[in-house]
Amino acid sequence: MYSKKIQSQLDKKKIDTGDTITVRAKDRIYEGFLMPKPHFGNPDILVIKLSSGYNIGIIPDSIELVATTGSRFDEPSEPEKPKKGDISILGCGGTIASKVEYRTGAVYPSIKPKELRAAFPELSDWPIHSRQIFSLFSDDMNSYHWKIIADEIEEEIKAGSSGVVLMHGTDTMSYTASAISFMLQQLPVPVVFVGSQRSSDRPSSENKMNLVNAVFSASQDIGEVTVCMHADSNDELCHLHRATRVRKMHTSRRDAFRSINSDPIAKVDYRALLFQPLSDYRKRHKQLISKKKFNENVAIIYVHPNMKPDLISRLSDYDGVVLAGTGLGHVPVGAFGAKHVKGILEPIKQLIDSGIPVVMSSQCITGRLCMRVYANGRLLKDTGVIGDDADWTPEVAFTKLSWVLGQTKKMEEIKRLMETDIAGEISSKSPIGGEQ
Amino acid sequence: MKLGLEIHQRLQSKKLFCEDGCDFAEGEPDIIIQRRLHPVLSELGETDDASKAEFSKNKIFEYQAFKKHNCLVELDEEPPRKMNEEALKIALEIALQLNAIPVDEVQIMRKIVIDGSNTSGFQRTAIIALNGHLETSKGPVKIPTIAIEEESAGIVSSSEDKVVYRLDRLGIPLIEITTDPDIRDPEHLLETAEKIGMVLRATGKVARGLGTIRQDVNISTEGGARVELKGAQNLKILPKYAETEAKRQTELVKIIHELRTINAFPLKSAAVDVTSIFKKTQAAVIEKGISSGAVVLAAKLPKFRGIPGRQIQPGKRFGTELSQYARMAGVKGIIHGDEDLGKYKISEDEQKQLRKKLELGDQDSFIIVVAPERQALNAINNAITRAGLDFVPKETRKANPDGTSSFLRPLPGKARLYPETDVPVIPITKEFLSSIEQSESLEDKKKNLEKILNKELASKMLKSRHLRLFEKLVEKGADPKLTATTLEETIVSLRREGVEFSSLEMTVENLFDEYSRGTFVKAAIPDILKAMAKGASAESVIKVYRFQKITGEALEKLIEEEGRDLKKIMAKYRLQVDPQELSQLMKR
Repeated sequence: MYSKKIQSQLDKKKIDTGDTITVRAKDRIYEGFLMPKPHFGNPDILVIKLSSGYNIGIIPDSIELVATTGSRFDEPSEPEKPKKGDISILGCGGTIASKVEYRTGAVYPSIKPKELRAAFPELSDWPIHSRQIFSLFSDDMNSYHWKIIADEIEEEIKAGSSGVVLMHGTDTMSYTASAISFMLQQLPVPVVFVGSQRSSDRPSSENKMNLVNAVFSASQDIGEVTVCMHADSNDELCHLHRATRVRKMHTSRRDAFRSINSDPIAKVDYRALLFQPLSDYRKRHKQLISKKKFNENVAIIYVHPNMKPDLISRLSDYDGVVLAGTGLGHVPVGAFGAKHVKGILEPIKQLIDSGIPVVMSSQCITGRLCMRVYANGRLLKDTGVIGDDADWTPEVAFTKLSWVLGQTKKMEEIKRLMETDIAGEISSKSPIGGEQ
Repeated sequence: MKLGLEIHQRLQSKKLFCEDGCDFAEGEPDIIIQRRLHPVLSELGETDDASKAEFSKNKIFEYQAFKKHNCLVELDEEPPRKMNEEALKIALEIALQLNAIPVDEVQIMRKIVIDGSNTSGFQRTAIIALNGHLETSKGPVKIPTIAIEEESAGIVSSSEDKVVYRLDRLGIPLIEITTDPDIRDPEHLLETAEKIGMVLRATGKVARGLGTIRQDVNISTEGGARVELKGAQNLKILPKYAETEAKRQTELVKIIHELRTINAFPLKSAAVDVTSIFKKTQAAVIEKGISSGAVVLAAKLPKFRGIPGRQIQPGKRFGTELSQYARMAGVKGIIHGDEDLGKYKISEDEQKQLRKKLELGDQDSFIIVVAPERQALNAINNAITRAGLDFVPKETRKANPDGTSSFLRPLPGKARLYPETDVPVIPITKEFLSSIEQSESLEDKKKNLEKILNKELASKMLKSRHLRLFEKLVEKGADPKLTATTLEETIVSLRREGVEFSSLEMTVENLFDEYSRGTFVKAAIPDILKAMAKGASAESVIKVYRFQKITGEALEKLIEEEGRDLKKIMAKYRLQVDPQELSQLMKR
């Protein structure tokens, strides 16, 4: 946004972004297109694009309109008519499918079906149709959106889709994908989430490889929700991960997505038509089970030193709490009569006694919980904390509890469902090595 | 003829968008990564010609990275850090020396480059100042823009399907100085390039050595087109590049005129698969291709007889241009109808069959490509497109060391720049500008040098790569003339003898410090320097090689011992006796 001073000059002369203008500054005249002001930088500095294509910022003495551009509204995107047996590509936003407008530098998060094919000609090898559900930063997504996504997937499946690919922002992709795993069980077609770490406005974006590999994976005999992302820093292979196992483990690298406590489902390379299983997975099912109710009133708390019991007591407004505990699943308990320690055992017990389930997970991320080895674990288990022996990530413990609370309010049933493997989130065996 | 210059000079700071240093890696890489790039669509669904041309090569890019010299930024695995402030200050200092006006806010842009030389697929670049000029003997040369940008990765090797780059060079800051096409003739071009070079060196804050400065020349001729010649390393042959390019364009205009006169345009041609003709060929190039699964494609060039063989640069023909366009598709080259086909061992019979299949008439020519089918088709279509141009194409060309040039890619269009949103804009405030250390202007520097040196030595020093060192030594009290002759004559002749200095600056500073203590005489400087070259201190060299100055009483004693024979003393003790002191003592 420009400052009031600049904007009023622009308004007076009826100058819009994209118009050709001349600017006088320090006895020099500059000509170029008026650029929008990004939300950083000094709002009194005018940004123009010179004929060389470069943008510069100058403090204007005066501004004159040379020529208007005319409006450049984006045409509304027309959804494509689905054909039976198609692979459906649904857009939920994120950096994977956006395009840059060179003139202003604006990046549009949506992409039309026609553009999708133009951008990724490799997709023409598969029968696909595409549409946009919404354009959101993944950080703005919550269980409201998960429900819509689940509805849309179900609709595609009913219409005869043979596989569903969802383009999604990477930050919370593992939350959405694991939530869908609980909502839509016994999938008759593969559901593949895909994103990109490098935005699609760069020639080095890994979006194409991830997307085409996702579509290729969606043509396989898989009955699970999965995530398809780069296997390593090379543009060579993707890994297909189980949605309840995958986690974003790096802020920026292409291979940020890793399967936790499990091998990925498969190694994928559409160029070589390679689909090499690395672990067991469920095949396409006959009948979809749809249980889409969710409870949005669940919190995750990161256990830390100096933690005040008060922090836990204040959670009494929630319907469920996930703890990201330390080590094997621990919290400060003030054992051995230690002075200067305020244990949080008591407030946890109060939450559970009042009917609020408390679920354990570990900050270690990798490894299995075991609340029987040390006294503090045993004390927690005795209070009724759920999760002993689980090897889920804190995020999956969170989406699962949110979903379980949508199914039942009975503590016994909550405990039973939490401790039952529903979508591959609890494994019986910890792998000894493998790909990662 | 219109001439313009684009100069790229590496600056002496850390990398432009990360905290890595700018020195080069030695030895084997720690990590190797393979990537692919693809064009990004603009709002019109169009990519520019330069991007498309590169993309049609469909190559794998392999990057060699070094733990000591690289971080995730160069690997395109982490967003860039803020722009290096030191580099920006050096660039602004140079801009001010070139009378340019800094922008009020630096906007960082992405310039699409998909030849793989940037892992991101673009180069970060920003205009920092505008409207500068340089005074020359033929009037002012305008410098409309000065930009700061990232250096690309250094190429290691290139094959049909893979290009290998080293990442130690990627991200070094460069200043880009672009002149208007105001330069009048090839000699003026040389003068302008030299003057800008002097301005850069005068700051003492630019990198030195091979490859640290590159001059690109923009040339356009009447009836021709703008051509950018990239990568000229030697200033002295800039005039030759300009002349050769002007001649090339004149020849192309002549060819186009001739072709027009015989109605050869629009050129109608298409690829024909002629693999079957060469099934039993003796021609090694073709046979090798076919046996590894390649096809042989040929295309008729109607009314082109004699054209591919026409020389347009010394030793280079029109056919060379077609071949270079074909190479964009990754093939090694083409064979054309004006060549001696017997040279390739293409038999008379094969030639006859080829003529028949292509329906060649007396006035027609043809081209042949051998490559895997898709590549061959791209290649032959590129060559046909080039042949069919009835104008001189705008191109980026590579400056060859012999003064000729080769086609690199079409001249990039404007669609290639868009904002780098990962890096914040940088305000250039008055306070920031006043914090920039301003070196003397070139004119002032010249005047000041002439005050302490004779005219000849002053002008030598002004152009010298040791100017900064000279200033430092003189500031510390060294005799200007002795310093200048040591740097410009003694060291030059020692180097000619093959003496290599491990650290010249340290050595010379140490030498003059010691000299100021009066421990040795001027005449011993060449010998002392030679002994110091590998890093020994002046003090130790003087002791070990007995260069101690003989002075005062010791000298008086020596005079008596040698029978007051001045000639004999100088012959024997030239490296230890100051002749002035000697003659004074002798007079007593």
